[in-house]
Amino acid sequence: MRHPLWRILLLFLLVQSPVLAAEGLAIQKSLIRVTTTAQDANYRVPWEPGSIEEGVGAGFVISGSRILTNAHVVSNARFLSVEREDDPKKYIATVEFIAHDCDLAILKVSDPDFFKGTVPLTIGDIPALESGVSVYGYPIGGERLSVTKGVVSRIDFQTYTHSGVDAHLTIQIDAAINPGNSGGPVMQDGNVVGVAFQGYSGDVAQNVGYMIPTPVIKRFLKDIEGGHYGGYMDLSVNWFNLQNPAERRALGLPDDGTGVLVSSVASAGSSAGVLKQGDVLLAIDGHTIFEDAFVELNGSRIQMSEIVERKFKGDEVKLAILRDKQKMDVTVKLAEAWPFSMQANAYDKKPRYVLFGGLLFQPLSRNFLEANQVDDLRVRFFYDFFISDELYREHPDVIVLGAILPDAINTYLMPFRNGIVDEVNGVKMRTLNDLAAAFAKPADYYVIQLIGEGRPIVLERKAVDAARERIETRYNVLKEQNLNDDGS
Amino acid sequence: MTTEARQRIQPGWRRDNREVTRGFLLFVMLSGLLASALHAAPVQVAKDKKASVVRVNVTNQGYDFLHPWSKKAPYSRQALGAVLPNGRVLVTGELVANSDYVELEKAESGEKIAAEVEVVDYEANLALLKPADDKFLDGIKPLQLAPAVVGDQASVWQLESTGALLITNALVTTVEVSRYPIDDTALLIYRLTASLQYREGSFTVPVVKDGKLAGLMMRYDTRTQNVDVIPAPVIEHFLKDAAGNKYHGFPRAGILFAAMRDPQLRRYAGLPESESRGVYVTEVVKDGPAGKGGLQVGDVILAIGDKAVDQDGDYEDPQYGKVSIVHMISTRNYQGDVLKLSVFRAGKQIPVAMTLDHRPAEDYVIEPYTIDRAPGYYVLGGLVLEELSRQYLKEWGPDWVKKAPERFVYYDRYQSQLFPDRDGKIVILNQVLPSATTVGYEMLAYLVVSKINGIPIRSIADVAKAVEKPINGFHKVEFSEDPRVLYLDAKQVEDGNDALMRNYGLPAINRL
Repeated sequence: MRHPLWRILLLFLLVQSPVLAAEGLAIQKSLIRVTTTAQDANYRVPWEPGSIEEGVGAGFVISGSRILTNAHVVSNARFLSVEREDDPKKYIATVEFIAHDCDLAILKVSDPDFFKGTVPLTIGDIPALESGVSVYGYPIGGERLSVTKGVVSRIDFQTYTHSGVDAHLTIQIDAAINPGNSGGPVMQDGNVVGVAFQGYSGDVAQNVGYMIPTPVIKRFLKDIEGGHYGGYMDLSVNWFNLQNPAERRALGLPDDGTGVLVSSVASAGSSAGVLKQGDVLLAIDGHTIFEDAFVELNGSRIQMSEIVERKFKGDEVKLAILRDKQKMDVTVKLAEAWPFSMQANAYDKKPRYVLFGGLLFQPLSRNFLEANQVDDLRVRFFYDFFISDELYREHPDVIVLGAILPDAINTYLMPFRNGIVDEVNGVKMRTLNDLAAAFAKPADYYVIQLIGEGRPIVLERKAVDAARERIETRYNVLKEQNLNDDGS
Repeated sequence: MTTEARQRIQPGWRRDNREVTRGFLLFVMLSGLLASALHAAPVQVAKDKKASVVRVNVTNQGYDFLHPWSKKAPYSRQALGAVLPNGRVLVTGELVANSDYVELEKAESGEKIAAEVEVVDYEANLALLKPADDKFLDGIKPLQLAPAVVGDQASVWQLESTGALLITNALVTTVEVSRYPIDDTALLIYRLTASLQYREGSFTVPVVKDGKLAGLMMRYDTRTQNVDVIPAPVIEHFLKDAAGNKYHGFPRAGILFAAMRDPQLRRYAGLPESESRGVYVTEVVKDGPAGKGGLQVGDVILAIGDKAVDQDGDYEDPQYGKVSIVHMISTRNYQGDVLKLSVFRAGKQIPVAMTLDHRPAEDYVIEPYTIDRAPGYYVLGGLVLEELSRQYLKEWGPDWVKKAPERFVYYDRYQSQLFPDRDGKIVILNQVLPSATTVGYEMLAYLVVSKINGIPIRSIADVAKAVEKPINGFHKVEFSEDPRVLYLDAKQVEDGNDALMRNYGLPAINRL
């Protein structure tokens, strides 16, 4: 299922303004209607190119003859066309930058005529609670520009459903926003104060819509200045609030309401080797960390994560810590934590897989899990505890026997579906590449041992060779394996 | 079942669908529908047979594993017990599980007497009841035991409210090894087809063939009209064992095995084309009967004694024909019996002898069932610590596999691989009772406790010992996952116990 216009379908009707206000008239020179033809990868039949779907979203012109929109409006796009309110022509656009972790994208249009007469919008600041905002876009209910109004209801961290794992600063507004509003500007006093991007279905909550606030937008625009999007960085540590007086005393902390306890440090993350479990974080870049993991920033209380949120790959974070009751200063250099991508929705990628003897091996991922609706306990455990139990150390790829294309050589193997590969011919399989290499190595028997109890899967080389063409023809297998997610 | 990798399992019968089929509860729930429906099956009242059964009234009350100091509300069940020649009454184990009070009632006169559970085996799902006065059963004609085979006509006995017998004819359609209510147990069952009518007090009812007891009904599926019956051979094993000084239970080999139909697997294992027997050993329980006998993972079992083991793990039983070797091992043999296996290993046929042994529930790291026993717990300043058990997981209801904390379910399902050495239990933090001592810890729940005050924790008794040795006035509690560690003020814990017990109504701060 794809909702290119809006992540979650809303069921109530639009409130449409019959007359465009002055601000609305001006916006006609900036608002863009984006029509996307997208092709989502098929994680059940990974050699198939995927089904083709169309969707409509919004975008707006910003400085430098660029269009800003949501990543989810243009994800997996094969063809993009853009239209202006006051120009009957359709123009062809391409994605210049896309940030799946904060759901933003920049489009460019090669035809210079497109931007003639457009007015780039300026990006403003965080609007005050209860202040009024207007939302522009192309939501369901009609073809033409729609405007709705509301107030700022809440400013908080929220999960961005496009990736499903990233949480950033988000502003909740009560203006009606609906499928098709995505990527449209939210305006206040002539400035952009957010990009409308997600909401709740009317079954769940009424008048709850979310926009991406300007700190996130500005960070994105700054990140791409170097010609490449680096993405959000993370300390990759878990912490525990230090609100228990006995715990504070045991750790040698005064009763001053500051400090959080580092409970785990991801070995694949930025802080590995710098922070240790049991450290107490006292300050971050000079901001005191309170015992509930908040800091004071520009006069308001905010989660300490926000300090790191605003930084870029390679930036440093200075931490004052207490280790073994000794105060010290450490510096974390921010880097990506690759294991997290396993649990994130993937876009613009070709599924990786290896097909051998009709057995389809795929790395565990969110897309795989959703496509196959797996409820096997072990697979679920490996997915859910991949990060916290550091299962990635032994299994950078959790290789799942995702499907079996029935044939005489595998007819006894059906019950092994959803098993996780441990070894092939006595060698531990850490990645899908390991598996492909093991199958490429000549041997009489390929003995695949899955994790846990169970007999080995045995495939005879000559049987696999004899079955290869038969299986590929019968099941229309276009390609036997894909080891890189760019398809190369 | 014809799939290759089905695993007849001992111990640890496991399937993806672990929901316990309590067909009879369903039966009761659908009673209105059933009572009004017309049934084609012949129903008759036979007055001469009524004397062989008594009503059994049981009040059950289990422990609440989420609040281990409490018992749940009591409830009552009514059933029919089969009167045996030894002056005892046979019922299912499920009927008397966690029973507070058991009484027998004569069908016609309504005369009642208290009874005690003399022997119970929850794995075989059988129990023997002894009336407070042996004379109570005088004049009741006891039921002899008689096996049935596929194709036999049998009848299911129920009682009308008048005390008259209601007899429903049934056909024995299948005899196979199948799952018993304790999920890890698989023993022989008879499967019958019968369209039963709803009557009060049918939790356990006898199945009779030619006036003799063929088995006890274990579950009834109203949709398929299948009746699963604990069969005479299992009852016979139980009674023989119970007649001895000490009840041992049904022995196990301590292995898991997989079918071996796949020709590629057979060739890889080196079995000659002419060899048609064999199952593949996939797991051997450490220090279990087969493990002590020297059986290894990867061995192929060709025969047990003089019985060939086929590629599905079946043998030719003199009584039932093709049936799983689980039946031979667990029911045909007894604790202490020695079985000689013929095993194919590394191209050679070798003998392996194993002395059968019953594996008690307490031997598991995560007990498969905890019945009639109070769960241990320790409330440490408000942290409710318990040993992980399947009974605890089952507090999440019939769908507990999906609803209970995932890590715990995973540990339970794969305990034989994750904890092969079985050195102790898994102690968990079930919940936190908020108090001044536990400020800031209120949200913690469902965590595995690894150490307290530096001492590894492998039982509730370990907790009690570790708590005696606070470090610098603090209890340091460590978990194997976030938040990894927390501290409690030892004196504050000690001083707060009375208030905690009063506030939350705890009868005691611990039960070891």
